[in-house]
Amino acid sequence: MIFKKLIATAAIATLSISTAFAQDVQEIVNKASAAAYYQGEDGRAKVHMSIKDSQGRERTRDFVILRKDIDNVDNGEQRFYVFFERPADVNKTSFLVWKHAAADDDRWLYLPALDLVKRIAPSDERTSFVGSHFFYEDVSGRGPEEDNHVLEEETDDYYVIRSTPKDASGVEFASYKNWVHKATFIPVKTEYYDENGEAYRTYTALGVETIDDKPTVVKSSMADTRIGGATEMHYSEVAYDTGLPEDIFSERYLRNPPRRELR
Amino acid sequence: MNPLPLSASNKPGLYLWGSALFSLILILLVAAPTFAPQSFSFLEPLKVDTDPENMLSENEPVRVFHNRMKQEFTLYDLVVVGVVNERDQNGVFNTDTLGDVYALTKFAETIRWTEGVGDHAMRRGVIAVDLIAPSTVDSIEQAGLGSVSFDWLMPEPPQTQEQALAVRDRAQRIPTLHDTLVSGDGKALAIYIPITSKDVSFRVANQLREKIATFDGDAVFHITGLPIAQDQFGVEMFKQMAISAPLAMALIFALMWFFFRRLNLIISPMIVAMVSVIGAMGLLVVTGNTVHIMSSMIPIFVMPIAVLDAVHILSDFYDRYPAIKDRRKTLEHVMKELWQPMLFTTLTTCTGFASLAFTPIPPVQVFGVFVAIGVFFAWFFTVTLVPAYIMVMPEKAFTGFGMGAGGEDSDHEATPLARFLHGVGDFAVGQAKLIVAGFLIALAIAAYGVTQIRINDNPVKWFHADHEIRVADRALNERFGGTYMAYLTLSAEDGDALADVADDAQKRLAALGTPQAQELANQAQALRGSAESVDAFLAALRGKGEAARDATEDDDEWYAWDDAVLAVDAASQAGEVFKQPDMLAYMEKLQAHLASTGLVGKSNAVTDIVKTVHRDLFLGEEEAYRIPDTPEAVAQTLITYQNSHRPQDLFKLVTPDFKKAVLWLQLKSGDNVDMSAVIKSVDDFIAQNPPPMTVSHDWFGLTYINVAWQQKMVSGMAKAFLGSFIMVLILMTVLFRSFAWGLLSMAPLTVTIGVIYGVIGLIGKDYDMPVAVLSSLSLGLAIDYAIHFNARARQLYQGIGDWVQTAKQAFGEPARAIFRNVIVIGVGFLPLLLAPLVPYQTVGVFISAILFLAGVATLLGLPALITIFKKVLFPERRAS
Repeated sequence: MIFKKLIATAAIATLSISTAFAQDVQEIVNKASAAAYYQGEDGRAKVHMSIKDSQGRERTRDFVILRKDIDNVDNGEQRFYVFFERPADVNKTSFLVWKHAAADDDRWLYLPALDLVKRIAPSDERTSFVGSHFFYEDVSGRGPEEDNHVLEEETDDYYVIRSTPKDASGVEFASYKNWVHKATFIPVKTEYYDENGEAYRTYTALGVETIDDKPTVVKSSMADTRIGGATEMHYSEVAYDTGLPEDIFSERYLRNPPRRELR
Repeated sequence: MNPLPLSASNKPGLYLWGSALFSLILILLVAAPTFAPQSFSFLEPLKVDTDPENMLSENEPVRVFHNRMKQEFTLYDLVVVGVVNERDQNGVFNTDTLGDVYALTKFAETIRWTEGVGDHAMRRGVIAVDLIAPSTVDSIEQAGLGSVSFDWLMPEPPQTQEQALAVRDRAQRIPTLHDTLVSGDGKALAIYIPITSKDVSFRVANQLREKIATFDGDAVFHITGLPIAQDQFGVEMFKQMAISAPLAMALIFALMWFFFRRLNLIISPMIVAMVSVIGAMGLLVVTGNTVHIMSSMIPIFVMPIAVLDAVHILSDFYDRYPAIKDRRKTLEHVMKELWQPMLFTTLTTCTGFASLAFTPIPPVQVFGVFVAIGVFFAWFFTVTLVPAYIMVMPEKAFTGFGMGAGGEDSDHEATPLARFLHGVGDFAVGQAKLIVAGFLIALAIAAYGVTQIRINDNPVKWFHADHEIRVADRALNERFGGTYMAYLTLSAEDGDALADVADDAQKRLAALGTPQAQELANQAQALRGSAESVDAFLAALRGKGEAARDATEDDDEWYAWDDAVLAVDAASQAGEVFKQPDMLAYMEKLQAHLASTGLVGKSNAVTDIVKTVHRDLFLGEEEAYRIPDTPEAVAQTLITYQNSHRPQDLFKLVTPDFKKAVLWLQLKSGDNVDMSAVIKSVDDFIAQNPPPMTVSHDWFGLTYINVAWQQKMVSGMAKAFLGSFIMVLILMTVLFRSFAWGLLSMAPLTVTIGVIYGVIGLIGKDYDMPVAVLSSLSLGLAIDYAIHFNARARQLYQGIGDWVQTAKQAFGEPARAIFRNVIVIGVGFLPLLLAPLVPYQTVGVFISAILFLAGVATLLGLPALITIFKKVLFPERRAS
């Protein structure tokens, strides 16, 4: 009798702990997403991207990235503007992204040499970002609600969270693991695993600085063992809350870039 | 008797047991590391090599380039799965088959494993990320409302027939997929599965077959591709060695029994053959050489040659014994008569094969050297083991020996064979002029035939027309652009001279017309004299421009400086040759030219990607299917393409620095003549249409490598043949101490080889790998009969002093030995006809033909020529 009771108590305890955990995990993930993609109300940075392939051959891209959070809500609506400066032959090429929390993002592409603004049909966002090892989704952020999260481990400094997709059809990974820094909630490492449980893709935050009191990743890399090589991104001239006007994030501005903001 | 056979007949046990021990040791040396590689890692195990690439040596420039380019463009060897469905009117484009294709693709992506441990761990199997299948490639298309969609061609198996057909229609719109992934008629599919290296193909293919076996649809899955063909090749090679070689042995045994009717006696040539084959093959493996298509033929070559001399001994022994009636005395007589011809035939045969060591084809070298070693073993064991064997047999075993053939006591001259040969001899001497005229006419016709020879080869055609490899090959080539890949590279010369770049930068700055640009242009003028390199010049100029830009507050000034820096960077990109529209237009023209040859089913290049993306950026309209007008437009088209699931695909067609491009050619035929025609056609095109920028072109890919080694083989064989012809002529002159006799000895083989190659030309048989190898072989073999005939004729003439009488004697025992040899060996090669691979059959047919012809040329031609030239050949010594 006592024995049975013990089991029942234990079961209830386990259940409540795991529920409590589930809530905590979602909260951690939300905070991590906010720390990585929603610092301040808006932000801008110059990015130097170095793409190295498996043979060590390098290609570079330089672009300015502008971001604005709509109504300053974390993990909510967002606008991105990516303006390419180099290589010279893609100068002024730009992307505009309207990120929606609960729907497919809207994306536009401007190709100056073809004088063409093109809307990109929604599809999965796990395609290469301009030929780099980063995906679109890595640049704009993966929605915290798209995966189921489990706190696998808690170290002195990190929450180690395992995430599995709710809808596996649109993604190439079976799961991924995130090392979220406890103090800043910055994800410092993400590993993606295939169906055999093998890690094939690794994001690493290589440098974090505090800018305007906000912990900011200023150097990061993405390596992919399937195709080999890695891409590094260096952020410079990072600024937050510069009061970017919302109207520059519109199709109209693709052809006429907002010079002041891009300078 | 010569010391060697003498010693063997004195100590027969030593030689017999010695050879048994020799064989046993070699067998153990091969078997131990092969079956227990861990315990005997210091020994060389049996290694099979079925890679046609190895026809060229590892450091052959063509091959080095091939491997470097494969690496530079990250190209892998492919297993191809062709999917055909004859039952469905839409072919494979139905929900069932596409469902299976989807499942097979998903499965194929998981075929990989790790070999080795720790630092030596190597990932092997399928390279999933480069797999080409409907579910792994991107499709670019219109998505309504002026938007463009980049998505998987078949993200999931279609649920309806409409969706299935939509997959087909989308793929057919994309030039890089049409005729490659989806067949030209829109009914079949091909999945391309890249593998880490060729040697994993067997395991990969087996796993694919297991998966395919679980499908119950109507589709047929053909697994093919060069690695698969090679695996098959290895299997067929062992069949050849396991079936044809023993069969040849059995047939030779049967024929000897027919001629000599003495089972216990004819066992000795069999022992000689066995020990020689074990010796040659054992040494081949022990010395670390591989069993290749060439070396797998060593047993079938060594065996009949090994038997050849033993047949001479037995034939002579058989004819003499009834008269002498003592085995040792008969042996002494036989060995005295045959010692010299046997030594010389061995030397000449060895020369013929060893000359192959001078060809530039490693497997042919190995083949030549080890057949030569086998022939030497054959000689050594013939002159020792046969006498030893005869000596260990009790004398009474020979009772009645030699009576079998005709049944008449010791009178071999009365058998039908003897009567026939005497008739031949009389005819040859009597109608000498007619015979020589006949041979001359035959040679003249042959000379014409030789001019008609077509040099051609195709390793896929080494399989029979009904072999599954050939069936798959036809099924795919009928429906797709072609399965034979050749790659044409175009490389820009490193010509970025500082002066050119500086000129370009200054021109671009001048065009801007701003004071800032002018100032930077002045800086350029100052820097160009002192800069150490193009990079240093550009970096310095860029630095000055950026410093000036960052120092200014005013927006307009800032942008003016920014534009000036941009102009400098644009100048630095001018060396990216394969982004330049005129260069791409040139490639487009070259592609159109290739298509017009009728030999190239399809070509893929960076131009196709640029045009396709450009078209779909402009509403998918056909007129937009073109190269855009500026390098910037090309670059922006390409950066759009790189937003796909597979950005790395671009660099399978062009290097990241855009200085090197490769055109993928799909040929419908792997025949070397066709590849050679394409090469010539490209050379001509480039000569007549110089490219807009200095680029050099070169080839790689297996279809090209085949041409490269064939060229080497043809010229190498010609040299080897000429070399050994001269060597043999010298040997003959030395042997007979007479240039006239030396020349005479060359006559039968000249006729033989001439006629054989004439016939090859006349009947239109391609001059391919086996045919090329045969020239040196036939030289080594055909000379044998001439040596035996001439040597014996001269021996006889010394005693008789009259040619007509000598000829009568020569057409006794010597002619019978030659005749028996022709039959035993000529027929002995015929089991090769049962071999599953065409080259073995070719060798079988032609070697038999060579032996029969050589026999005829010797028995008719030599007596006829001696009759005509007897004054030169037999100077009147007696009269003087």
